[in-house]
Amino acid sequence: MDDKVRKLLERQAEWQKSRAKLSWAEKVRMVEAVRESMAALRRSWRSSVSSRPETNNLDGRPSPDGEPHAP
Amino acid sequence: MKEVAELLNAMRDAGVISAYALFGAIAQMRYTEGVVTLDTDVLVSLPSSEGLDALKPIYEFCAARGYKPEGEAIRIGAWPVQFIPVFSPLTQEALEQAEIADFDGIPFRVVRADHLAVIALSVGRAKDNARILGLLESGSVTTDQVARTAQRHGLADAWVRFEKRFLHG
Repeated sequence: MDDKVRKLLERQAEWQKSRAKLSWAEKVRMVEAVRESMAALRRSWRSSVSSRPETNNLDGRPSPDGEPHAP
Repeated sequence: MKEVAELLNAMRDAGVISAYALFGAIAQMRYTEGVVTLDTDVLVSLPSSEGLDALKPIYEFCAARGYKPEGEAIRIGAWPVQFIPVFSPLTQEALEQAEIADFDGIPFRVVRADHLAVIALSVGRAKDNARILGLLESGSVTTDQVARTAQRHGLADAWVRFEKRFLHG
């Protein structure tokens, strides 16, 4: 493996480990923020697909819930 | 989550539940890095668990404070909270030996890391295996501690299989 890539992966692993050192409350707040972002993304996705005449699954069939699904 | 902690403490002080302890992903995060989860799991013991609707006093207590049911959970602030009565000697021990953590100045009872690992071992889904590995990697529990707790609760074989598959494979 290229030395640059190895060092990058080491730094990334260290950064990930450092997140475990946050306080419990901070980690929970982080997860709450991620959940809110996911919910907002989902809402915007729903509103954008509902404005289209028809949403198809990834295999081309109409999707019953308005979201594309893999076959 | 602070709202959940305050409500659970109030519920216990009012005698609606005898004891509570967080488990599942939110408890795991006390020991590991953050993991995305949709709900909060709480182990509870009830003063009287007889009858078909053992959780009714909890639902009534919450309803009186404006917290409404949402599926199998009760929505408390940002979180759907699932109340799970202790259902085995393992969960009973986990509840009794839970630690009191500090959550923004509020005491919050949380299941110990070895109990979290062994509860995960007893369930055995992919995400439970990942939970055990996360707890071990965080250093919050050792393989010896997990092995001892697993042995006490008849899960020694499951632990040996886990070790073979994920630790010595």
